[in-house]
Amino acid sequence: MNISHYMTDEHRACDTVFADAEQAVADGDWERAEKSFLDFSNDTLRHFKREEEELFPAFEAHTGNTQGPTQVMRYEHEQVKGLIGKMAEAVENKDKDAYLSLAESMMILLQQHNMKEEQMLYAMCERLLPPDVKEETLAKMKAVEL
Amino acid sequence: MFNQQGLSLDQAPPISVVFRFFLTGAFFGILGGIMLLLFDTDCFDFSKPETLMLVHTFTLGVMLSIMFGALFQMLPVVAGVKFRMPTLLATVVQATMIPGILALLIAFDTQARLWFVVASALLGVAITAATVPMLYKLLRLSHHGSASGGMRYAIVGLLSTLVAALYMTGTYAGWWDGAAYLTFKRIHYTFGLFGWIVLLILSISFQVVEMFYVTPPYPEAFRKSAPLFLFATIVFFAGGLFAQSQPLIVASQTLLYLTVALYAILTLHRLSKRKRPIADATVRFWRLGTASAVLSAALLGVADYPGIDERFTIAGYIFFASFVLSIVLAMFYKIVPFLTWFHLNAQGYLTAPMMHEVIHPKVAMRHFYLHSASVAALVGALALDALLYLAALLLIVSFGWMLYLQWQAWHLYRHTQKTGERFEMPSPTPSA
Repeated sequence: MNISHYMTDEHRACDTVFADAEQAVADGDWERAEKSFLDFSNDTLRHFKREEEELFPAFEAHTGNTQGPTQVMRYEHEQVKGLIGKMAEAVENKDKDAYLSLAESMMILLQQHNMKEEQMLYAMCERLLPPDVKEETLAKMKAVEL
Repeated sequence: MFNQQGLSLDQAPPISVVFRFFLTGAFFGILGGIMLLLFDTDCFDFSKPETLMLVHTFTLGVMLSIMFGALFQMLPVVAGVKFRMPTLLATVVQATMIPGILALLIAFDTQARLWFVVASALLGVAITAATVPMLYKLLRLSHHGSASGGMRYAIVGLLSTLVAALYMTGTYAGWWDGAAYLTFKRIHYTFGLFGWIVLLILSISFQVVEMFYVTPPYPEAFRKSAPLFLFATIVFFAGGLFAQSQPLIVASQTLLYLTVALYAILTLHRLSKRKRPIADATVRFWRLGTASAVLSAALLGVADYPGIDERFTIAGYIFFASFVLSIVLAMFYKIVPFLTWFHLNAQGYLTAPMMHEVIHPKVAMRHFYLHSASVAALVGALALDALLYLAALLLIVSFGWMLYLQWQAWHLYRHTQKTGERFEMPSPTPSA
């Protein structure tokens, strides 16, 4: 499995647990919603950490560009984290309408972000990084925990 | 901010660029409804200028406007294509396109040479100004995603539609004898409907259906081959027309309709497998749209056989319009609330309205019922003339509603900018 596949699979796994949390909120099952939302936020934050601590530095070191795509991705991570905070608040308040509205924004924001990573950043990493660096980065990413 | 090819922070163009195209689309939709009210059943007769006026109000005024708006928004995201001066480009396109469409409508009505010349010049500039930079940037991409590959063919399809249109308007203007007029007419509407509209929707679907609804991806073989296959089929169809080869014409047309139906069935299937089970109005708009595409392909497929009632053809085109307009509305209800929130949030406004505060899902659902009723009334009018008035009124209300919601979102956006509390973001943000 290469970097691109591994990270793309993580995106899909986050989508699944996100959809489960959304459905639980829509059903008014707040217990399930809380659990699924917690899983979603943990999975997403761990994925971001893998990128920010391992993948992006590897890309930056190899390309010498710290102001490029990785900076954009970090900025978008901050936007997503902001929304996670607001969604957590909606779960805590059991505010269905607020949660579903935030979920809509989150989904589009996250999918646009994922699309850019999958189609551009990961593809660039696969193309530009030497095989040994790719292997090492992937192993390090897998070891990252929250 | 950086200019590296591929990714950039302010990916999104200014919100006003997208909104102005949507506003124009809604305005022409209202105009189309008024025309339908005035023209009565004349608009079901393909030989009448009223029909041409009505068709072009929808295809150019509504569909092309909204599709240009969507392309300005989507190309940076799906293809990393960024326009240097999007506001200026959008202004040039609109300043020529709106008078160009109106001139064309007057030309059809008066049949006066001068108006055909004016319409050709204005629309020629508008479409070229919008599409050539898009195509140039798309062709320079080294790596294509699900949508960008097909978008190239769609834009070439639009330019081919324009070339064929210019041949026809040149004939009206008396520049040439128009010996191949009928051939170019068929090429014009086949490229326009299938080479541009269907190809663009199909390419965008590959990205947005999965993105908005978290569905399984389209089968890879279909995703990779369908855009080129569709485009090549239309080229063969055009070749068949020039070569006067009936078998080639029939074969390519049949393949065209089958591809549209297959795309629509695959999309319906993807939607049924979506991971986000909540069926909001936009899912219903997609379902209505793609189901209409299947019906349209089936009706147009049988319409050419001898002895078939002409109403099959008309119903085929009504369902085609339903296909496109339903998907336009599905995109509208996602894009407008999202962009309003996204731009304000990115500018650091703590009071940025959430998507549901821009347009509530219940409003979208009511619009879905209204829109469905307008489609049903239009189809029903083929059997009962009086229903045409109802369809016209429903269309006016539907597009009036769209105009109002668009205006309200813009007002909310400006109001938040003027009065909202702002948190200065450490990084550059998209501008208004």
